[in-house]
Amino acid sequence: MTETDRVIVSGVGYPDLSDYSVGIVVIEELTTWSPPGNVVVEDLSYNPIAVVQRFQDEAPDRRFTRAVFVSAVTRPSRVAGTVKCYRWDGALPGEEDIQRAVTDGVTGIIALSNTLVIAEHFGALPDEVVVVEVEPQSNEFGAGFSPPVAAAFDRVCELMKTFATDGDAVARLPLEPLDYAISPGWGLTVQ
Amino acid sequence: MCFKNLPVEFDSQGKPFLREGIRDPYGTGTATPSGGPRQLTPDKIEELLRRNGHVKALDFDPVTRVAGALAFHSVADFENRKVLEARSVATLFRGYEVIMVGRDPRDAIYITSRACGVCGGVHSTCSALAIEMAIGCCPPPLGVLIRNLALALEFLYDHPLHLHLLAGPDYSQVIVEPTNPSLYEKAKTAECRYTAIHGFRTMADLMTDLNPLSGKLYLEALHMTRVAREAYVLICGKYPHPQTIVPGGMSSTINLTVMNEMLVRLSQFFDYSKKLALIWEDITQFFYAANPEYKKVGARRANMIDTGIFDHPDAYDATYENADAWGNRRWATPGAIVDGKLVTTDLKKINMGLEEFVDHSFYAEWTGEGKQQHFATDPSGNPLSPHHPWNKVTRPRPQGQNWKEKYTWDTTPRWDRLGMEAGAYARLWNTAVARKMPENPFIESTGHSLKMRLPAGALPETEIEWTVPDVWNAFERNRARAYCQAFTTLVAFNQWLAAMEILKSGNARTSTPFHIPTKGEQRGVGFWGAGRGYLTHHLTLDRGAVSNYQIVTPSTWNASPTDRWGQPGPYEEAVLNTPLLEETNDPKKFRGLDVLRAIRSFDPCMPCTTHIQSEGGLITREVNTCACGLDD
Repeated sequence: MTETDRVIVSGVGYPDLSDYSVGIVVIEELTTWSPPGNVVVEDLSYNPIAVVQRFQDEAPDRRFTRAVFVSAVTRPSRVAGTVKCYRWDGALPGEEDIQRAVTDGVTGIIALSNTLVIAEHFGALPDEVVVVEVEPQSNEFGAGFSPPVAAAFDRVCELMKTFATDGDAVARLPLEPLDYAISPGWGLTVQ
Repeated sequence: MCFKNLPVEFDSQGKPFLREGIRDPYGTGTATPSGGPRQLTPDKIEELLRRNGHVKALDFDPVTRVAGALAFHSVADFENRKVLEARSVATLFRGYEVIMVGRDPRDAIYITSRACGVCGGVHSTCSALAIEMAIGCCPPPLGVLIRNLALALEFLYDHPLHLHLLAGPDYSQVIVEPTNPSLYEKAKTAECRYTAIHGFRTMADLMTDLNPLSGKLYLEALHMTRVAREAYVLICGKYPHPQTIVPGGMSSTINLTVMNEMLVRLSQFFDYSKKLALIWEDITQFFYAANPEYKKVGARRANMIDTGIFDHPDAYDATYENADAWGNRRWATPGAIVDGKLVTTDLKKINMGLEEFVDHSFYAEWTGEGKQQHFATDPSGNPLSPHHPWNKVTRPRPQGQNWKEKYTWDTTPRWDRLGMEAGAYARLWNTAVARKMPENPFIESTGHSLKMRLPAGALPETEIEWTVPDVWNAFERNRARAYCQAFTTLVAFNQWLAAMEILKSGNARTSTPFHIPTKGEQRGVGFWGAGRGYLTHHLTLDRGAVSNYQIVTPSTWNASPTDRWGQPGPYEEAVLNTPLLEETNDPKKFRGLDVLRAIRSFDPCMPCTTHIQSEGGLITREVNTCACGLDD
């Protein structure tokens, strides 16, 4: 990484939704960190179209070269508190699914999958995207985490700092697709 | 007399009373409202499906390009190209009404905002209005104007989103060409009438730029939502959940800088509004000319309801007693329209005629069995139904889906026992016909139309006119919604000008101090509107805490199921009237486009905490989003 490379470290989630707020709370925690000058720490838990516009607002010579995202992501058969890190390969679903993601995005859904798909579709993401997934357990209203997510929290914060500053650590991460569904498709059955 | 079905009459002073000699005035048998298509019985449908190969079940689950979780079950006769059964299914419960009980009423402003990911501000405002009425607190003039402005800006986000992101693609090249190739052939040579304003020479050009993700109109709508958002956050702090709406006004600081920054953004909607209206003029006129059958897509009786919106600072006093007076001074006039005729503009009559039923909904009944209704009258002593929101108790009862019994989480609101629809178009219709809107240089209510003079931007000053249509269908809903962008822009500009006059006088106060009473029982209602139309929050306080909270949204009306009198809900009625105009006889190639056009023209806005099911029936993720459609 050169001095001109810029990194954005961001979380995506809902506030006050226990484990599902982990993306937001990690970013709040990282505001106490003094990162290098090329690292921006910012909550991106809002309309993904606005996220696209926020990325596009950067001057061409100031565009981010790496984005590191953290969010609660539910996957089948994964133990709560599991932390999974990978570089996203940027592969997009079909157009109908992207449309579905935009519809969800502009009508209020905050989800990492939507944010990534929409931002990538509109060419707003940096070439290098790192995803840190935390498997949630509780979706109760309110602050605080379940014990497994609380136990993982400090480690997640350290991972975010590492991926913000250590290009070699990022390079060692596997390159993976988003392997969860964006949309159930057209939705029409004729019987 | 505005009520035909409820046993409510009026004395010589106009005071309403219940007709005498009726043992159970609000009983089901007191009136039998009629009109509109009827559903076939489930047994008859089963028989038709069994005996006829050309009768097929069409299930849309989920209906895509709508906000939230809506499913739609229909049965269609492919030989006769018509729909035989239509069932609107709100698939999830959201629970805001339950969440609110026992809380400090001020919480409602923040909690109910979360009911929607688009129009959080309208829920916050509606809460604030209900609290103001309950506790007796009225905002200062600038507070009223800034509140109006904030909500107009929210609509300027919402209307383009509906027109060019959600409904618009149904008229795009990528949808029309494969489903109706002969229609698209006509579009290639059909010249647009309003090229000088919107720039499209042929309808095919226009359809191509309606294409989702890549069309210029789709991308422009995304950009314009940003412009509206930027203006909105100047006064509301953030979008979609504002931080500055309080009982008694707004907590934002308003100065010349804020006003100027707002104007920079608002003025971008002058030209955009001209384009939107005339694009949808061209779309509507082309489809009607190409095939008059399109007039039947989404058609239903013109039964509409709206509470009006945008208060006049000289009139609004937050009292129920004067609701008729201040309601009629609103920039958008309240009203109930039955079979195309405006029958009242009185907010108290609109409120008196409102009932909610749960016969086909996943809720338990709260009336009957000797139960005493909580309020026999409204605060002015006018009669109320036991099914009125002030008397309603939300009792969720999840159970299996059955078309004969219960099949949706939406309730069945009815006004004078009629299935009314809500939408921005009701706002236009009432305002056009009533001729009550405040005098101003930009909008004129003629009694049959609204003339709107949009100031010059890059395009010259342009007058456009929305006329009350003689048919009511999917195209008219979208066309009216497009004109509503101009209406909203000009209402906002009027508020901006009035706010500047107040600022010049040196009065920058935007809120009135308030006190939540800790003794006794109070009640209030917020009469407001979303981008999609009608919105009410009915609130009861008991010793300072919320003892009942009831929300009726536009999609509560529109997505409602068939009622106890057999009247289908608005989506259902619109689909039952829709011909299947796709150019295929192969059910496997059929996409249900006209059914979807009918449904999407209402701009459905459905529930939160949605469990999206994959084809394998597995829950694949949980999401929170707009919840306008469900009973709470």
